Amino acid sequence: MQSVTVTLGGGGVQVVLLPGLAPAQAEEETEALEEGPSPIAPEAKELLWGIGAFVVFLVLMRLVLFPKLKKGMDARYGKIRADHEEADAVREQALREVADYQAELDTVKAEAASRVDAVRRQLDNERSGRLTEVNQQIAEQRAAAATAAEERRAAARSTVEAAVVAVTTALVERSTGRAPDAETVRRAASDVMSVGASS
Amino acid sequence: MLALEFPPINEVIRWKDLFPTFNKVALIGCLAALIGISIFLLAGRKNPMVAPTGVRNVAETGVEFIEDQIVMQTIGRDGLGWTPFLLTLFVFVYLCNLPGIIPVLQMPATARMAMPLFLAVIVWVIYNVVGFKHNGLSYLTGMVWPHNVPVAMRPLVGLIEFLSNIVLRPFSLAVRLFANMLAGHMLLVTFAVLSNAMLFAETKQVLLKPMTILPFFMLLFLTLFEVLVGFLQAYIFTILTAVYIGLARHPEH
Repeated sequence: MQSVTVTLGGGGVQVVLLPGLAPAQAEEETEALEEGPSPIAPEAKELLWGIGAFVVFLVLMRLVLFPKLKKGMDARYGKIRADHEEADAVREQALREVADYQAELDTVKAEAASRVDAVRRQLDNERSGRLTEVNQQIAEQRAAAATAAEERRAAARSTVEAAVVAVTTALVERSTGRAPDAETVRRAASDVMSVGASS
Repeated sequence: MLALEFPPINEVIRWKDLFPTFNKVALIGCLAALIGISIFLLAGRKNPMVAPTGVRNVAETGVEFIEDQIVMQTIGRDGLGWTPFLLTLFVFVYLCNLPGIIPVLQMPATARMAMPLFLAVIVWVIYNVVGFKHNGLSYLTGMVWPHNVPVAMRPLVGLIEFLSNIVLRPFSLAVRLFANMLAGHMLLVTFAVLSNAMLFAETKQVLLKPMTILPFFMLLFLTLFEVLVGFLQAYIFTILTAVYIGLARHPEH
């Protein structure tokens, strides 16, 4: 057996190799070790067991284990690829359908807009026609009302004028004792009423 | 003073037979094959048409890792037929590396020369057979008498190429894996022994026992590091195998 002396000091750990056995015993031990196989040399039993284990492993892997595993992996990857392709096809189909739907939607929207415009134009025309018609009716009614009012005013004026002439004639006749000229009284009354109406 | 008994190298990396001709390294090799077979057997039994989970997910991740990160990067699409071999190689090497950090086992089978050696020899045989199969005798003549090199340089380059392809590649492939895993194993043993010795030392040094945290921390760190190393060495072994096969198929590259 070899011995190592480890010393702990201020300078750190110091390791010194020492002959741990008595000289005779150490020599005997050394001889025994030297007689044994080299620790580096390969041992036949390890070689044979190692070769055997490796060859069995290799043969099983090459003929059975790896092909089965690889076949499963390839099948799964194939399925994944097929699923991807199917998903791509479905996505493309969906995109086409969306595009078709969008085109149809655009057509319908355009048609609806044109219909709305046509209806709006029609309504505008109708409204304009009705407005013109109503304005015309209002103007006619207004003109008729103005004519009627003028006629009533003229009638009222002639009535008032006749009353004024009668009253004036009566007053003049009572105050002077003779009847005034009817035409002069009527003209005077007419002038006064004209002034009153204009003011 | 702390007397630390370090176990002899043969005690650390050589194991007594569990029964005649069968030791711990052989057990790890057999377990690696059994676990690998079980993983792919269970994975193959699951329904492949649903999203993979659990063991099937692990197996499929392994297949895709080998195909995408190794075969496609080194050989190309034509090399996908090599996936089962490279996958087996990767899984076997990784499962032989992993016991170095698993309690009770605590020994990577690849830290013994036998495992890397026979794997490297198998790889050597395979890439040379592939070379002869794809190129015929020109695989060898193109190697020892390369045409795209000036005539004066051909003997030297040819010798270097021959030695590199025929002798050094299997040797470097085996030794790289073996040395890395052995070094990792020895580091773990060293810090484990040191932690144990410091913790149970009969000494009056009051600081010695608290300082056990230092080698113990290193032990934890190296254990985690060995997870990475185990994966990395399996990856390197596998990708170099793929590179050698790819070069044997198309030596002009």
